[in-house]
Amino acid sequence: MGIYDFVVKTNKGVEKSLADYKGKVLVIVNTASKCGFTPQFKELQDLYMKYKGQGLEILGFPCNQFAEQEPGSNSEVQEFCRLNYGVTFQIFEKGDVRGETAQPLFKYLIEQQGFKGFDASHPIAAKLTEALQQNFPEYLEGDSIKWNFTKFLVDRDGKVVARFEPTFAPAEMAAEIEKLL
Amino acid sequence: MVKVYSINDCPWCEKVKKYLKSKNVEFEEHNIEENDVDRDACYELTGDTMVPITTVNDKDYVLSFDKARLDEMLGL
Repeated sequence: MGIYDFVVKTNKGVEKSLADYKGKVLVIVNTASKCGFTPQFKELQDLYMKYKGQGLEILGFPCNQFAEQEPGSNSEVQEFCRLNYGVTFQIFEKGDVRGETAQPLFKYLIEQQGFKGFDASHPIAAKLTEALQQNFPEYLEGDSIKWNFTKFLVDRDGKVVARFEPTFAPAEMAAEIEKLL
Repeated sequence: MVKVYSINDCPWCEKVKKYLKSKNVEFEEHNIEENDVDRDACYELTGDTMVPITTVNDKDYVLSFDKARLDEMLGL
């Protein structure tokens, strides 16, 4: 079983085989499903615009298993939503990414790249760990997806080469992406 | 007719609709996620795809659930 064997549905309900992305560099990310203050969407969109001509595709999978926000955001309320979150890369149907009900694609991704911890020196890491301990202690166990905006990087051969935790800003992924392009 | 442009899973859109209902304002909902014609109309009106957008005349509009501005535009 490889990454290109998975079939998923776009946000318009159309089936899409990941084999359609053969030869591309992919970023697969679970996104927040509601409209909050989410600079990671903006940074992902910036990466997409910068590298799409060189073969980067970003695949966003909204999920509501976590609270509405990305880690670290709190009182910065944005009282509107944007169609497709203001991004032009492909957004897929909302679904689960952790636990028994997780979509097969995400079960595969976490098998390929396990959880190696948050960067403890990152200010958001402490906040996120604390929030998880309080609200969802079981989320901290094992290789499961910990929060919105866990990013998996896939090379042109379909190998899942890296996992970036929610505490890792998309903009900082640029160097790793460039190596694969 | 008052129009509300919305998308799915949009808590602010729900708030606007609930508020208009509470004030007995009749409106049409146009979901720009499900209908590309509505999406284009919303984009033409506002130059973006942010919602909720409430408009009375396809010219003046209010973005988000901004009660004061909604009241002003709708004469409530």
